[in-house]
Amino acid sequence: MLPVERVIGEEGLAATAGGLKLAMRLPWYRSLPFSVVEVGPLTIDGKAVDLSDARISYDGEEWALSDNGERVDTFWFVRDSAFLVLPSLNADAGSSHEVSLNLFVSPPYIPGMKRTNPQTSTLTVAAA
Amino acid sequence: MANTATGPQTGVTLYSFTNEFLTRQFELDTLLAEVAKRGLGPNIEIIGFQNFREFPDVSDKFAEEFKQMIAETGLNPVSCAINSDRFLKPGQQPIEDAALVEYHKRQLRSAKKMGFSLVRYQFALPVHLLPEIAPYAEELDIRMGVEVHAPMWAGHPAVQAYGEMYDKLNTPYLGWIPDFGGTASRIPESMLDAARAKGAKEDLLDKLKEVWLEGGMSHEKAGRLREWAVAKGHGPMEIQAACLAFFILSNHDPKSWAALVDRTIHIHGKFYGVSEDLVEEAIDYDTILPLFKDGGFTGTMVSEWEGHAYDTRDAFEQVRRHQAMARRIWGA
Repeated sequence: MLPVERVIGEEGLAATAGGLKLAMRLPWYRSLPFSVVEVGPLTIDGKAVDLSDARISYDGEEWALSDNGERVDTFWFVRDSAFLVLPSLNADAGSSHEVSLNLFVSPPYIPGMKRTNPQTSTLTVAAA
Repeated sequence: MANTATGPQTGVTLYSFTNEFLTRQFELDTLLAEVAKRGLGPNIEIIGFQNFREFPDVSDKFAEEFKQMIAETGLNPVSCAINSDRFLKPGQQPIEDAALVEYHKRQLRSAKKMGFSLVRYQFALPVHLLPEIAPYAEELDIRMGVEVHAPMWAGHPAVQAYGEMYDKLNTPYLGWIPDFGGTASRIPESMLDAARAKGAKEDLLDKLKEVWLEGGMSHEKAGRLREWAVAKGHGPMEIQAACLAFFILSNHDPKSWAALVDRTIHIHGKFYGVSEDLVEEAIDYDTILPLFKDGGFTGTMVSEWEGHAYDTRDAFEQVRRHQAMARRIWGA
């Protein structure tokens, strides 16, 4: 990753009625469509999280993570966080967890480049 | 704006301030104000997909807001960098040609609406699509410059194929945007230091310097280094830090730009670190810049500090020094 890049967003982890919600930042210098970003693997407290029912929430829209590849015309603004929603998981507000996330970025104009961007942070769950 | 310049102009791309923008230290309006206050303009370039939330389809409302920011700061929006994103499908599979043409048109419309006089586009646009796009740029009255970026240089086959098409279409709306990273004389020591700080060992960096000088495409060279490094037990993050050099820099002849001067409409003054005595550490500006002045170039070179890709030095000070260096060499 580049010096200021991050994949875990400033808004961190939140407990919501729809499950756990994790903020993500795009680790690149410019906006990209979601189709060129692979999300995961994700581990929480050392345990791999099953992402088969995970959803992406961004700019008032929500879709299944498994549909990301079709989102060739939904642009993730490089300044904004997108959120990974995990319907099967929850956690108590105020509890702390070690979160490890990797996002793979394939820039759509540089053939052969695919970047790995792992980050680990200890996050305190916010109530939402 | 009529070009009444008699020599090369200086300016800055907001890309130099990527770190300040991504960490939310500045909004677009406050960043423009800072650039104006420090006297780093008035000529500017903006990457559409970096600074404009609505890109590639900018609304009339935002275009008006942007023009207001420009009026308030007195800056001159010369260039909007657009992207030739052909490989938008998972696994870097290409989109259809018609969709790629439309993708360019959307960005051209947005750039024009915001008042830019030219766009930067990229070689990921297959050359056979130029005849479909050029008339649209003429109709909108906005020039398009393809960025000759490492590993490309004047003698690269893709540049030659574009040159032949340019001759055939023969329009002033198409041109070149040289990026000097294609003719670096060495890998910047500051980049090697950043890799060292990430744990890269000296033997990995020695091998990097050796492979960097060899022929071949960036990803082939990166693959070669990766293979060697994995066998020697180097870690993936150190290898990735080292491989960055292949994608942003190559070492072709600085004098080779002479072949492109005539159709150069704008320049990316790529740099990594300018010292207090105004010398860039990796790119030989004293050889390159006179070619453009002597060749009659009257457009803008925007200072493009890319040290931010591995370093958090003061970008504003780096840009100030780079512009002072250009004035030293051009005698303006």
